[in-house]
Amino acid sequence: MPRRTDAPSSASTARAAERAAERASRRPRGRPHVHGQARTLLRPGDGPMVVFDAVTKTYDETVVGLDDVSVSIDAGEFVFLVGQSGSGKSTFIRLITRELEPTGGRVMVGGRDLTQLQRKKVPYLRREIGCVFQDYKLLPNRTAFQNVAYALEVTGQSPRAIRRKVPEILNLVGLADKADRRPGEMSGGEQQRISIARAFVNHPALLIADEPTGNLDPETSIGIMQLLYRINRTGTTVIVATHDREIVDKMQMRVIALEGGRVARDQRQAGYALAD
Amino acid sequence: MRLRLFLVEALRSIRSSMSISVAATVTVLNAIFILGIFIPVYLQVQSEVNRQREKLDIRVYIDDNATVAQVNGLRTIIASHPNTESFVYVSKQDALDQVSKQVDPEVLAELPANPLPASFEVKPKDPEKAGELIDAVTGNPALDTSGGDPITYGKETADKIIRAGNIIRYAGLGLLIVLMIASVLQIANTIRLSIFARRREVEVMKLVGATNWFIRWPFMIEGVICGVVGAVVSVLLLLAVKLAVVDTFFELSDSPFAGQDGATLSFPELALILVAAGAVVGALGGGITLRRFLRV
Repeated sequence: MPRRTDAPSSASTARAAERAAERASRRPRGRPHVHGQARTLLRPGDGPMVVFDAVTKTYDETVVGLDDVSVSIDAGEFVFLVGQSGSGKSTFIRLITRELEPTGGRVMVGGRDLTQLQRKKVPYLRREIGCVFQDYKLLPNRTAFQNVAYALEVTGQSPRAIRRKVPEILNLVGLADKADRRPGEMSGGEQQRISIARAFVNHPALLIADEPTGNLDPETSIGIMQLLYRINRTGTTVIVATHDREIVDKMQMRVIALEGGRVARDQRQAGYALAD
Repeated sequence: MRLRLFLVEALRSIRSSMSISVAATVTVLNAIFILGIFIPVYLQVQSEVNRQREKLDIRVYIDDNATVAQVNGLRTIIASHPNTESFVYVSKQDALDQVSKQVDPEVLAELPANPLPASFEVKPKDPEKAGELIDAVTGNPALDTSGGDPITYGKETADKIIRAGNIIRYAGLGLLIVLMIASVLQIANTIRLSIFARRREVEVMKLVGATNWFIRWPFMIEGVICGVVGAVVSVLLLLAVKLAVVDTFFELSDSPFAGQDGATLSFPELALILVAAGAVVGALGGGITLRRFLRV
């Protein structure tokens, strides 16, 4: 049976948008409730959302990804991770999603030590972390609706819940009218919005974005960052790895700067470069 | 299990990579078709070998001058031997009657007396151990020693048939196994190609938190669909071959196989086995080859 993908009428679109906004604003900070699935893996409580404790990651004897990095990010924070290519940003991100394991030290996410996490629990960790990538990583043979729906199907949500939640989240990212488009039929900015919708549809406690504006023009980039900021305001911790100087300077958020795999600077309400 | 969801996913992926799905299906079709020809031929040859073996009787000739007691003694030895499947007593008259069917009766009428000895025709349970039975009766006083060997047994023929039977059995089994392995590898290879083409998709699935089984099920269902479709088409082709070639051939010829067709395995049974084999091979191909792409 084909999934229902017809876009809602404009009237219901507006109503759904209102509802979505309302829902988002009511959600308590840090611990959004997700219908139909109990969150069990991440329990940050009042503690920090992400802790790097003397983390070292070496790829082989010569290539160092991260070198003795210690950082703590609280629940509800918005953090920019900046640095040149090869400074260790991607390594940092991929240690949080457990795509990589540290060579030394501990990575804690939501109060859980990832070095102790069983391999079979990794999928459940990833359901509680929303991921946004530079290349969007959308499934090319699925429509926008289906791409977002996949993240819900994976967690075992009912078709009814999916039909309710996906239009809601598409409204939130402003693409309710593009539900039937495939990634190839959308612009980069639109694809990135769909990717963000997919990352946020489960209302994760943590959302990480690896160079989300890397392929986008400055105007589109601002829109994407605004969207991420709005998501942050609902209580979700957001970590953005970027080397987009303009945006970092404009938003004045916490900045963690990496250089050669080490923390060069960790500053609140800062710009891209060190302000003298 | 969310069967419907997985089914939808499987059909979607078949549709979106049609050419590879067709390639996988055709691969299954090939393998199953060869298997479908090989299995009945193998079974038929096997049953023919068995039939030939069953024809090998031991014949024990009785001296015309043997007493009733001596003949009964011989009968007891044969009847009680563990390797005796069954035996019949052929009297002098029976022997003559048998010969008269083949020889001109006028020639027989010229004979002064019936020259043929009476005999026991013994069918051994195990032709390979016929020697034991022969040893047990050798030297018995009731045997006819007047002309040639009193015990005849198509030993050389028997040995040849037994050896040929064994060679066919083991070589055939070996060939069958090699053929099966080759089919599975070929199918696995095709499916690996399809999965390799979609490894990015699998990577994305893993990143949004899909468990390995959640990713694997649609691939396995896809494999089963390709396997079953391939097997069904090859069964149809086999049916066509059977109707057009094999059945016609049997009708037209006096082949010793004639009238025996299907004695070992009926066509519906064969079809069922082949379709099941297609499904299993498809599921294994889809499930196993996916494994190395799941380690993200």
